Parts: sequence; C-alpha cells; structure tokens
Amino acid sequence: MFSKKNVSDLAAVGGAPVFDQIRSTSNLVRPDFGKFLEYSTIFYEQHRYTNGGPVAKLLEQRLAAFHRTRYCVSFCSGFWALVLTMKCLAVPDKTEIVMPSLTYRRMADLAAWVGLTPHFCEVDPATLGVTAEHAERSITEQTALLLGVHPIVNNCDVDGLEKLSARTGIPLLFDSVESVYESYRGKKIGGFGRAECFSMHASKLVNGFEAGYVTTDDPELAARLARMRAFGFCGEDNVEMLGMNAELNEVHAAMALAGMDDLPGQVDRNRARYRAYQQAFSGCPGIRLLEFDETEQTSFKNIVVELKDDWPLSRAETIKLLHAEKILVRPYYAPALHQKKTSYRTIFGPLPITEALVDKFLLMPCGHFVSEDDIFQTAALMRFLFANATEIKRRMPL
Amino acid sequence: MTTKHSVQDFALLGGPSLFEQPVHVGQLRFPSWERYEAAMRGIFERQYYTNHGALAQQFEARLAEFLQVKHAIAVTNATLGLIMAVKALGLTGKVIVPSFTFIASAQSLTWAGAEPVFCDVDPSTCQMSLRQVRESLERETGIEAIMGVNLWGGSCDPKALESIAAEYGVELYFDSAHAFGCTIDGAPIGRFGRLEVFSFHATDVLSTTEGGCITTNDDALAARLRNIRSSYGAGPPTEVPLTSNGRFSEAQAAIGLLNLETFSDALANNRASCAVYRERLAGIPGIAVVRAHRVEQTNWQSLVCRIDEQTFGMSRDELLAVLKAENVNARRYFYPGIHRSVPYVNDFPQYVDALPETDRLCASLMQLPIGALVPLEKIAAICGLIADAQHHAASISREAKASS
Repeated sequence: MFSKKNVSDLAAVGGAPVFDQIRSTSNLVRPDFGKFLEYSTIFYEQHRYTNGGPVAKLLEQRLAAFHRTRYCVSFCSGFWALVLTMKCLAVPDKTEIVMPSLTYRRMADLAAWVGLTPHFCEVDPATLGVTAEHAERSITEQTALLLGVHPIVNNCDVDGLEKLSARTGIPLLFDSVESVYESYRGKKIGGFGRAECFSMHASKLVNGFEAGYVTTDDPELAARLARMRAFGFCGEDNVEMLGMNAELNEVHAAMALAGMDDLPGQVDRNRARYRAYQQAFSGCPGIRLLEFDETEQTSFKNIVVELKDDWPLSRAETIKLLHAEKILVRPYYAPALHQKKTSYRTIFGPLPITEALVDKFLLMPCGHFVSEDDIFQTAALMRFLFANATEIKRRMPL
Repeated sequence: MTTKHSVQDFALLGGPSLFEQPVHVGQLRFPSWERYEAAMRGIFERQYYTNHGALAQQFEARLAEFLQVKHAIAVTNATLGLIMAVKALGLTGKVIVPSFTFIASAQSLTWAGAEPVFCDVDPSTCQMSLRQVRESLERETGIEAIMGVNLWGGSCDPKALESIAAEYGVELYFDSAHAFGCTIDGAPIGRFGRLEVFSFHATDVLSTTEGGCITTNDDALAARLRNIRSSYGAGPPTEVPLTSNGRFSEAQAAIGLLNLETFSDALANNRASCAVYRERLAGIPGIAVVRAHRVEQTNWQSLVCRIDEQTFGMSRDELLAVLKAENVNARRYFYPGIHRSVPYVNDFPQYVDALPETDRLCASLMQLPIGALVPLEKIAAICGLIADAQHHAASISREAKASS
C-alpha cells in the first residue's frame, strides 16, 4: 500500500523509497528453464556452438513463420542487424538516410557505421511515429534509404511510407524493434518494406540475452545478409563481399526460442499490467497514458505516459523524484538525435514538433518484475506528486 | 596403422571412408552438460542476462589476472573487438596488416573507415615479415598504425614491432585472436602495443561460443573501448567517435569462466595431440608441421602443415581432396590471401602480384583437426592416412585425374 503522507516521506528528501528493488523499463522476461535446456541439448549433442548452428536455424524458421515472411536471418544483436541491412539496402553512391530525430539514441551512430549521413525528420505528434509526409520533406537527391522506425507504442505510417518508397524508388527499411508482436491493418509486422529489423536483447519482448534478426521476402537480400554476417564467405574459402562477424551463438538462440514458446503467456501478463495502468492512471491529473491500438495485434509491453501541460513538475524533476523511489522511469528518446553532438555530419532543418515533444514523455516500468500492485503504488505516487508539487518545489533544490 | 593398401582403398577412388562422421578443424571445447546446466540455472535465478553483469565482470577480472594486464574488456566477438579498436585508437588512415591472416583482420579496418596496407609474410615463420613492415613504412605516406597479427599460437615478434612502431612514430596494436595462453619472456601475450584483441570463438582454445576480449594497460583507452561497446554502468561516459553494440552476455561469461577452469587440461590435450602429429608425420616425405614462432609456450590450438608438392608427390589441394573424401575435414587456412579477396582485390589492385610469399603459403599450407573432439587415436589414424596417401601419391593423382 502507498503510505506517503507528507513531502518529507519522499525518498528524494530522505524518506523510505516505495520499492526495495528497482522497477525498470526493461522487460527481462525469464523463459521456462526446462525449455531453454531442451533447446540447448540440440546444439550440445551436435557439438555446434555457432556459425549458423541448428538452434539458430530453428529460431530463424520459427521467426519467419511468426512474422509470415519467407526469410529470417539471425544476428548477434539488433544493432548489427540494422547496420548490415542498411549496408545492403542503401542505394550505391547516395549518401543520406532519412530517419526521425525522436528515436533510439544510437540510431544516427548506426547509420554512421555504414557511412550514411542521417537526415532527420519530424514525427507525427499523435502517434510519435514517422509519417510519409514528414519523411518526404527530408528526401534529397542524395537519399539512399528511408528508415521507418516504429514508435514505442503502436506503429508508424507503414502504408504511407511504402507508397512513398514506391513513388520515389528509394528503398524502405523498418526498424521494428518495438513492434515485434504488432500487426498493421491486420497484417503482421515483419513483411513490410524491403526488410524489417528486430532486437532480442534481454530488455525486449523476446529475451535472447543479446540477439537480433531481420525478416524479408527477398531471397537475394536474405542470402546476402547471411553471408555478410559470416565474413562474406560463400562456401568454404571464397569471400564474396565485405563481411564481418555478426553471428548469433547457439546458447542465445536457445534462449530466444524458449522466449518464443512463452510469448502468448507473456502477452497475457503484459495485457494485465496494461489494464492495471489504465485503471490506476484513470483520472490521474496531468498524466495521459498512451493507449494501445487494440484493433490491431499488440504485445502491451511498453508503457508510455505524457506529462500534460498541467503536470506541475518538469520531466527532469519528475524523473529525479521517481528514481529516488527506485522507479526507474526513462525519458522517451531524449535528447532528440538532432540535439546531440556527433563526430560525423548530420542534416536537419527546423524540427519544432520534435522539440515540443522531446520533454513530454516518460517510459514507465514494465515487464517481468512489475506487479499490478506496483503499478497502483506508482500511480498513487504520481497523484501524490501532483497534489504536493508546490511544497516539493519549495523544499527541494531540484 | 596402414589401412589403405592400394589406390582403390581410398575413398576418393571409391573405397570406404576412414571415418563415418566428419572430423573437423577447431578446438570446440564446451563445459560438461552438468556444469553448463548449473551455470545457466544460476543466471535464471539471478535474472540478470546482459550489460556487464556479475559473471561478465568476474570473467573480465579473471582474464586480466590470467593475462597480467590492467584491463580485459569482454566483447561479442573478436571481429567486433578489432573494429572497436580502430575507433578507440582514432585511426582513420592507413594501417599495415599482413595479407596472410584471417580475413576479419582486414575487414575490421574497412568497417571502421581505415585502409589496409598489406605486407608479405616471412616464409620461414609464416608470421608477418618485419622487413616488409619497415619497407611499407619507408615507402608509403600516411601510415598511422601497424596491426600485428599473432598467428596460430605463435607470434609476430611483438617486441621487435614495438621498436619499429616507436622508431616511425606510428600506433601499434595486435590481432591476437589465436594467441590466448601463449607466453613471451615469462608473461602472456596481451600486454603489447596499445591493445590486443583475443578471440573466444568456439574454434579457439578458450571458447565462449562467440566472444572475445580486448586487453590494454591504458586507462583512458579502456574507458573509450567500454563506451564504444556501450555497456551500461561499466565506467564513466567518455567521448567516443561512435558507439556500437559489443556487449558480452552472462551466458557467454558463464561458459568462459567454466572453460577457464579447465584451461590447463585444454592445453595439455592440445600439446599431446600436437606431439602425436609431429611424431607420426615426421617420417613422411614432403610434409612438415609448422612450429609456433617466437613464443616460450604456445597454446597448440592449430596444427598447421606445409606440403612440398615435389617431395610429397601430390599438391596440397590434391591431398586435401583425399582427406575430405575420408571425412577428414582439413582446411586451407588461409586461402586465398586477403589481397586476392573481395573487395581488396578490386580496391587495391597494386597488391595482387606484390605478395609472392603469401601466395606461396596460401598454396602449400593446410590445417589438420585438433581439439576436444579429436582423440589421439583419430590423430594417429589421420597421420596413417597421410602416410598412405604419400606412399600412393603418384597413382592416386593419376587415377583421380583420369576419373575426373
């Protein structure tokens, strides 16, 4: 039960924190140990530990079936999955990649690894996702690739971006790290654009320790990616292209498969948490919970709230207060990418929508370690902060 | 142990294979199932999976102690380690690298935006030629660094390279992917140059399935590497040109820790295997085992031999075909030289005919199976097979040509 009565009870000024252990925004789902061991026996018995081993192959088949695509190529991480796919898809001799500024903090670095210059665009304030209209404004004669990045809740403008790609001839790649389970207009995410990239880092929907994958219907792209992740080898000695090592090892693949087995159960648990958030934050002043589009398939995993104009504390102040309570909320993609100093060139015009959005959103605790009671306590704390904001500001040098 | 009495007994010419299942090159050492299960159960209990966790920290500490260096930074794999090294050292120009090495050495430069300057090898040691390194430094402008490559449990003489790098004022670092556990002057390889990169791939002497580590005694460089690797909570944020994901999971760390516990057994097993190869191949004309160069102790992780076509009676590639038919999966490491591979053959055509010693080694060397899955009896049988092949070399060669 939430027990804070006075501002002096806040952990930031010396009170006991709401939780003993941190509640984070990382999913950290623990799959069934028995299943993990079952998948492990496959590689153990064959003495195959990596290099496209039997468990990684099984995982690829499973994921292709899940996303209803012809191919899936696994990688050591979502990061290198994206880098290698950008390398394959970018139009040769062109230099720019269009991406939203309000997105994953390493996205510009990803592009820099393949020598592409990020050209930042706005997002739609209603969905926080990139739209065709915004992307188009950042297209130049040098555009080599369009990056459709799904926001943390729901999807971006898939249809518009596909049409833009078709009209301009510029290839479209989706970063679908946060949309693994989602559908768009009833069709599974995974089969849009030229390819889609996913992560199976422990904090994501499917926990593969560290892992990533790409889905595509394009046989040539799938073959090229599979070679590129293994030094470009085609056959035993013949190197066909510039490659590297981005192979997924068998232990991580076994973990991911055990996670896939648990997926329906996990989505049920996530839905229950989301329902608790809906109930707990209903009518909470100054706060808007971003709603999942339940007309589509969704994992209900990520919880994002908007601090509305009548929320009386700044986001930085709010984060500081919550962190003291061991509630490890995170700012939603802040700073925006165009606001960061980089060692490489970036391109952007005025981005007023992004700048208006960048201080407004918070990622709330979610996943395996968060109970429904935790959610009600967190909401109670937020109401307490709202009610006592004046005194908090007076007492605390935030 | 002669099993092939006539040419028809060879699998290449229709006889039965020596082994029912393929025997592979590669160490392939993995903990026992019981130890694996216990370690994984611990991870599931702690529910901490990646991002510089307790086991990763423990593994790094054990590595630093073992290699007698200040920092050991565990990474996803050695290739990513080499790529991260280029960025951490701030290299953007030319880097001298041998062409006779695994292709990842050069690929790491290309991904990180540096340019390889290929040098030839010393045919007597198979390691990069220090004379050629000097010639490159004299000939080329804009050279920023030397990537020394310690091949196969031997060394490229890192101390001599340190003198050369100091003399010319260039950076020096090492691809020591094969060199884990090798020693020079009473201490392990790992302390030379600005940094060294080791591989813990399944085929290497210490395996984490995939994995590697970067060693350095330089605090600032270590901080940059940790930031490029981008583990949360692994030290203070430092300005770096580019971040990546080079993280090392708790599963990888668990396997590494278990394999470190039995590392001396692995060395003893490799040493015994190598001794059988040396003894049994010694009397066969035209085949010689390459010895680890300039190390006090090697890790014996690779068994490399050189085929002299004239004396042996058939070419390396012909012998390879004979072995493969018998399910002995011997490999041509390295073939072709990197300078003859894509994209370098196109991007740097000046090297195509400029590295004759590399070309000669590429045509005459091969690796034979050694590791956890290759018991001494199999090694004796492989040696017997090679002796038989040599004995019948002329006829096998003739028959094979006739039947193809």
